[in-house]
Amino acid sequence: MAPDFLATVLLSSLSSAAILLIATIGLAVVFGLMGVINLAHGEFLMIGAYTALTVTQAGVPYVLSIPVAVAVTMAIGALVEVLVISRLYGRIFDTMLATWGISIAFYQLAVLTFGTVSPGIGMPQISVQIGAYSLAVYPLLMNGVALAMLGFVYLLMTRSVYGMKARASIQVPEMARAIGISSARVNTMTFALGCGLAGFAGAVLLPIVPATPSMGFAFVIKAFLTVVVAGPVTLTGSALAALGLGGGASVTASFLTSVAGDAFFFVATALLLWRYPLGISARWRRKL
Amino acid sequence: MTLSQRLYRASAWLFPAIAVALALCLSFVMDPYLAFLGASWVIFGILGLSLDIVWGRGGFLSLGQTAFFGLGGYLGAIAAVNLAPVIGNTLLPTLPLAALFGGLCAGVLGALIFLARMGPLQATILSYTFTLLLWSLTQSLKFAVGKAVVGGDNGMSGIPGIVIGFGPHARALPPNGVFAVCVIVAALAYFATLALMRSTFGRVVDCIRLDIQKTELLGYDVRRVQVVNMAWAGAVAGLAGGLFALWSNYLNPSMFSVQEALLPPIHVLVGGLGTLAGPFVGALTIGGLSFWLGGGVAGGQTTLILGIVLVLLVLFLRNGILGAFDQLWRRFLPDPNAAARDAGEVRINVGDLDRIMREAEIQVGPAKTLSTDRVFKQFGGVIPVNNVSRSFAPGRPMALIGPNGAGKSSYLKTCVGVYQPEGGRVMIGDTDVTHAPIFRRVRLGMGVKNQKPQVFGALSVYDNLWTAAFARTRNKAKAADVAGRVLAMLGMTAQAAVEAQALSHGQQQWLDIGMVLCLAPRVVLLDEPAAGMTNEETRELSLLVRTLARHTTVVVVEHDMDFVRTLEGHVTVLHQGEVFTEGDIDSLRADERVLDIYLGRRQHV
Repeated sequence: MAPDFLATVLLSSLSSAAILLIATIGLAVVFGLMGVINLAHGEFLMIGAYTALTVTQAGVPYVLSIPVAVAVTMAIGALVEVLVISRLYGRIFDTMLATWGISIAFYQLAVLTFGTVSPGIGMPQISVQIGAYSLAVYPLLMNGVALAMLGFVYLLMTRSVYGMKARASIQVPEMARAIGISSARVNTMTFALGCGLAGFAGAVLLPIVPATPSMGFAFVIKAFLTVVVAGPVTLTGSALAALGLGGGASVTASFLTSVAGDAFFFVATALLLWRYPLGISARWRRKL
Repeated sequence: MTLSQRLYRASAWLFPAIAVALALCLSFVMDPYLAFLGASWVIFGILGLSLDIVWGRGGFLSLGQTAFFGLGGYLGAIAAVNLAPVIGNTLLPTLPLAALFGGLCAGVLGALIFLARMGPLQATILSYTFTLLLWSLTQSLKFAVGKAVVGGDNGMSGIPGIVIGFGPHARALPPNGVFAVCVIVAALAYFATLALMRSTFGRVVDCIRLDIQKTELLGYDVRRVQVVNMAWAGAVAGLAGGLFALWSNYLNPSMFSVQEALLPPIHVLVGGLGTLAGPFVGALTIGGLSFWLGGGVAGGQTTLILGIVLVLLVLFLRNGILGAFDQLWRRFLPDPNAAARDAGEVRINVGDLDRIMREAEIQVGPAKTLSTDRVFKQFGGVIPVNNVSRSFAPGRPMALIGPNGAGKSSYLKTCVGVYQPEGGRVMIGDTDVTHAPIFRRVRLGMGVKNQKPQVFGALSVYDNLWTAAFARTRNKAKAADVAGRVLAMLGMTAQAAVEAQALSHGQQQWLDIGMVLCLAPRVVLLDEPAAGMTNEETRELSLLVRTLARHTTVVVVEHDMDFVRTLEGHVTVLHQGEVFTEGDIDSLRADERVLDIYLGRRQHV
């Protein structure tokens, strides 16, 4: 096998894993720090993408549209947390159902507002040459973005006062409350952060994944599976799961067909859950 | 018993039967268009019933019921298209096949989820992604089976209607007939499910929802029950799918869509979770409302409205229509839990207990030893159980003591099977159970009482005991006999009909111990049984443990030294995961080293 082909496959698979990780981190943060699976995560991604698209179409440079997308999704996320999620603490299935309802409502709102098809924004046409193959640079850039997001969340959780409080609240909730941490405010912040990360993902992936109302559904399947495979140690676990599942699926897809890649993803997930029914990190001692 | 009470007890079959009779009468005079719509509401009621079985009864929120609905629908439609020209009748080939296929798929998914003992979140997400995966797969899946063409996102058309006659000249039923057939199929599905849920199988399903660990500690193979329950629910969903295919004459991948998957939870929540009849009420209410509001106005916003409705339901209407009605009715019925208030102190009848244990010995054989051989358990760098070799025999109580963190509970959990040891062996009698699941150890004669009282709160005191006795005897009459005598031994006969959750903490502890006795255990493990008991209760407990130890092996993990003293048994001291020393309580009390570790003095700390 030609080395240049192999290098191309490996690089693009790494990018696929990075893209999956970008789409997953927000979900993982909310799951890890609130114990809640946000079924509307994909729709926050979609909102981020549409915000960036709308702002860009209004003439603002694309790079500046990303912070706008983050701000909008964080605000909506905080609102959802205060209005709905905060009333359902400790009822994980009810929380899932409620976020599911929100997901479907947002989807329909997007259909009503933007129609089912909308123009994407062009991907920067820069590429690199590896042997006989050329690779677009923008997806490769996503590796750096994924690493930066991981680093940002890690620093936020370990170095900031909010991060300390959030980790304290999920590990020993009673003690956290007893020393005066307002878990309600921490949770609102966490949920908003998770939604903001989803909005960031939607905006930063916009050149690769055009905004459509149903993009959330397509994306979240793999993001959900990544998070449940990862288990309680969400950050490290998700990074590993995204690399293994997303990268593996992409390698399989390169050599076989894209359906085979998807099949790999789901079979691998089922096998991993069979072996680790509570996620691969259920018995790890690290917490982040 | 008053009329109201009789009606209340019969409500689960009486009112649905009346509703079925009414619907069948109405089907003769109904407007055909309303009959056409009504049939779809009934079909969605059946689909909701399937979710209520796994979620309301089984306690697992499956978001994959529409997947089984769709799979059953597709296979049923393929059968109908091919067989209708031959035999005429479409119900006979379609419905059984659809139900079978739905049940099979659900059984496979359930086996994956429950045999692996996945966490609830993992299980729900897996079922959801299963549906979404089918949605995307069916968009591009194109193939033909005989005359049936599955055409990807073009769907599958030309499905015959409901034909109940035979031969080439049999004609499809008009809308009113279709409605009547749907009602009859729904009634069959409902009453079959009701019968199943009222059988001992249904009792175990309820127990799993209430406390899965306790159910396994009674010796039930919970995983198998969960898989069978899931398969039954899948069959009901498949049945609905087959009926839907014949009703609509056309199927497409939107059966697997998120919008479709949203409907069963909404119907179940509106009608009342766990009521079985609720989903029909819910489907009828939602369907009727949207019919009344008119499809025209809200056409484009239906999905939006449904999403918001789901959020509002979760937030504000927990019990649904039937649940609210049930609560209202119960207010006018005599309180079955009134007897809990005049329950006095529990007095153990030692004579009764002796007799029960002697008979148990005749039925299930002599007491067994519990032994561990260099058993080893590690959590990261912590080693709570470090090569503990011990053998516990009947005759007198065996107590395990030690300061906090000595590894007492971890050792006990390793013996019970909650923890899998990394090394060593655990034996019950002559059988190696090191890697056996909990229920198998229980069937070998292990009886476990955990620190917190574990009772099935929504069941009556008698039913709690009966469920435990049935786990061993597998015979209704024998179970009733055993439960009745344990009830009398505990002196709780007056509280037989009280819900276990209405009992005080101490009484729940006694009920829990009573359930363990119903198992006729050959080895009894008690984890801090005296915790939270009054002085009198502790005295009775000591009497019970001593009596029990004359017949079987009894291992007690305990903090309360005064209680351990009254047991007059053999005491093992654990310290830092290892056996520190052993002897009777008085020699240990005089042992300076034991005092050292308890008080944290000198070199042994």
